[in-house]
Amino acid sequence: MMYRFANRLCGETEAAKDLVQETFLNAYRGFKNFRGDAQISTWLYTIASRACLRMRRRRKGAPERELSLDEFIPTSEGEFRLQIPVDGLSPEEALLNKELRQALDDAINQLPKKYRMVLVLRDMEGLSAKEVGTIMGLNERAVKSRLHRARLFVRRELSARGVTEPACDMDRLSLE
Amino acid sequence: MAKRTAPRPSARPAPQPHRHGKGGCLPILRELSAFIDDELPEDICREIRRHLGDCPNCEEFVASLRQTVSLCRHTPAPTLSSADRARMREKILQSAGGR
Repeated sequence: MMYRFANRLCGETEAAKDLVQETFLNAYRGFKNFRGDAQISTWLYTIASRACLRMRRRRKGAPERELSLDEFIPTSEGEFRLQIPVDGLSPEEALLNKELRQALDDAINQLPKKYRMVLVLRDMEGLSAKEVGTIMGLNERAVKSRLHRARLFVRRELSARGVTEPACDMDRLSLE
Repeated sequence: MAKRTAPRPSARPAPQPHRHGKGGCLPILRELSAFIDDELPEDICREIRRHLGDCPNCEEFVASLRQTVSLCRHTPAPTLSSADRARMREKILQSAGGR
């Protein structure tokens, strides 16, 4: 569970391994302070999220930017729908398309971290808005606001980039 | 006498150029995540559904947002090989023991 979360948050294998290591070390050192009033998974997510923000600060990347709703309002006809071949496919089938997977990964990785964390916890790890709020120290309203902006960002990136490969993964088809 | 044909009431109006006016689309676009997550009161949902019925662009926008969320929810989980997992466990135990 922790590696899955770390990988989705960091977007790369080595940074994800570092984050898992840091998380478990911090959990080991802080276990005496764990009061048991949250699920242990929530506690670990909290430790990992904080460690991730600290790791980012150490790397001194570009400052986090705020996402404004206005920047996601489509202005031309072609921007309203996704230019990706998903019609008639389940999400699992659509995601067999490597170009689509790459476009989705890229879009999520381009999100500013505080928005990415909310998207990963809520839409990918499947936590409730309340649980995400507990982990990130936010109220539910703030969680939902960040989540909406994060989703709009990913939608816009997918719409702008488009996917031209056919929907089915030819490698998989040839194996069947 | 030639009979004049009245326009059929069910005929849809010709699509208008889409402008996100403050009174129409913008407030709805702000609520769309809550709408697709079923978190809005029924009266607001009804209002949004009515707007979507009249506004093909917003309808496409909602569909594309739903697709985006669905893709995120179904992204396959990254996994570690058992060898990598064993190496990481070893490193964590070493670091914990050394502190």
